Amino acid sequence: MDNKPIKEPIRKKWIWIVLVLIVLGNVPWYMPAGSYEPLILGIPYWAWIIVGFSLLLCAYLSWATLKHWNIVEDIEEEEKRRKANE
Amino acid sequence: MNDLTFSGMDGVLILSAYAVVMLLIGYFSGRGDKTLHDSMSNYYLAGKNLGFIALFFTLYATQYSGNTIIGYAPTAYRTGFAWLQSITFMTIIIGVYLLFAPRLYVISKKLNFITPADWIDYRFKSKAVTILAVLLMLWGLGNYLLEQLVAIGQAASSLTGGTIPYQVAVIAFVLVMLIYEWLGGMKAVAFTDVMQGLVLMVGIVIFLAGAVYLVGGNFAGATQFIAETEPAKLGVPEMMTSVNWLSMILLVGFGAAIYPHAVQRIFAAESERTLKRSFSRMAWMPPITTGLVFIIGILGIALIPNLDVAGSEQLVGLMANEIAGINGFFYWVMIIFFGAIVAAIVSTADSVLLSFSSIVSNDIYGRFINPNAPERKKVLVGKVTGIFAVAILLWIAWYPPATLYEIFVLKFELLVQVFPAFVLGLYWKRMAAQPVFWGMLTGAIIAGVLTWTGHKTIFGVHGGVIGLAANFLIAVVGSYLVTVTVTEEEEEDLKKIDLAYRREYSD
Repeated sequence: MDNKPIKEPIRKKWIWIVLVLIVLGNVPWYMPAGSYEPLILGIPYWAWIIVGFSLLLCAYLSWATLKHWNIVEDIEEEEKRRKANE
Repeated sequence: MNDLTFSGMDGVLILSAYAVVMLLIGYFSGRGDKTLHDSMSNYYLAGKNLGFIALFFTLYATQYSGNTIIGYAPTAYRTGFAWLQSITFMTIIIGVYLLFAPRLYVISKKLNFITPADWIDYRFKSKAVTILAVLLMLWGLGNYLLEQLVAIGQAASSLTGGTIPYQVAVIAFVLVMLIYEWLGGMKAVAFTDVMQGLVLMVGIVIFLAGAVYLVGGNFAGATQFIAETEPAKLGVPEMMTSVNWLSMILLVGFGAAIYPHAVQRIFAAESERTLKRSFSRMAWMPPITTGLVFIIGILGIALIPNLDVAGSEQLVGLMANEIAGINGFFYWVMIIFFGAIVAAIVSTADSVLLSFSSIVSNDIYGRFINPNAPERKKVLVGKVTGIFAVAILLWIAWYPPATLYEIFVLKFELLVQVFPAFVLGLYWKRMAAQPVFWGMLTGAIIAGVLTWTGHKTIFGVHGGVIGLAANFLIAVVGSYLVTVTVTEEEEEDLKKIDLAYRREYSD
């Protein structure tokens, strides 16, 4: 078995700091209550910002899941290959 | 939703077709597998062997119910653009999974967990903690199931314009669900979820297309109308609403991720790669599910203005009615869409019921009543108890509550209290059973009392979140204060969940 370090999201603090920052950006507490103009393509300016943060959140979580999580994957896939070859 | 232009029989026809497909899937997924009913792992977790397609769709169809449409579109209608939060709080669930699923997956495979309580029991070795956690989970699941049963009846009776009465619709679909679940267990649930998830996805897109057609493709015109009549629905929400928005993210994020049926999908994954890929796709589902439903609600403000709260709850039916009136194509599509809503509700209900049964089999009967019973008997006890539970809930469902969203928040309030034990316990060796118990109990009492006395939120913060904060505080401070003598055996068990020791015990 190789000694490649395992990747577990909980061990990387920056993942969670960035996540909290995105979530804070995703809630419109920092914009003046009641304002909605300008409307861009019929959508209030602030909603564009919130939707932007929402999509960023999706992309970030999707990416973190794929790239920063690898604990037993290599072992499992190796085993699967071995079984398939038998 | 009683005045649809759908003539009753067309709706009945489509609903029957859905029912037949579900039964067929259930029959074929259980057929040929003789060990299915002899093993809890096979029956409740599909032999821990769910592949990518089945796992992704079962995560999707379980998380998004028909309620996501019937309940969320009216909420968007009433609150306006502030309901963009529904995208965020559905996405954050994946973030919370990322906190604990990677390690829990590895441990659950090693130790062959069936239910979330297996983990709680292994970690804390305390009857009190396990029993309290099981009760909270059953309470949350029961309430959730009840909500789905009510929704099945409402959706089906409105689809058929009352040709199928509410009670008949509920009973018919509950029977279908019970039969396919009995036949195929988790396999049947997951494979029907593929069908149910697909029709839900496609249905939302077509419904939105119909709504856009009705406003003449002019979204800007619709919001212009809102700006003239109800500008508050366009504006940046008040600070209190933002606080509530954040609280909702915490409540749904923490609550939905540790739902027993959600956790059991981690256990059921075929491999880490399958689980990762499913979560990574799931992270993109909120914009194209709750996001599109949000737009439908906003368009509804322009299409059917001035509905009161009770009237707005009928929004999806009213809009479906207008869309169906466009032409023959949209007429049939709307009938299929409403069938899809019913199917989506069934797909959530079946997962909840299966999880409920598994907890009865494994945690109540298997752990406390008859630990030495053969697995076949444990499975049977869970299945039969599940049917009784449904019968009791049906009796309650006869008198459905007024709005759906209210019960949605209620179910998370207590369930979320299991979170500290469940997740902190994974990483923090010092965490001790006694403070965990008192934290969980205090959190549940705070959440319950606040909700029952009508203080669902305080300064915008949900009672469940306040309870959770107290729960965390007690569990953490308490664990620092108590000195626990750890036996050698317990020390060994703790090592097994520490990934640094992984290789030693895996070899």
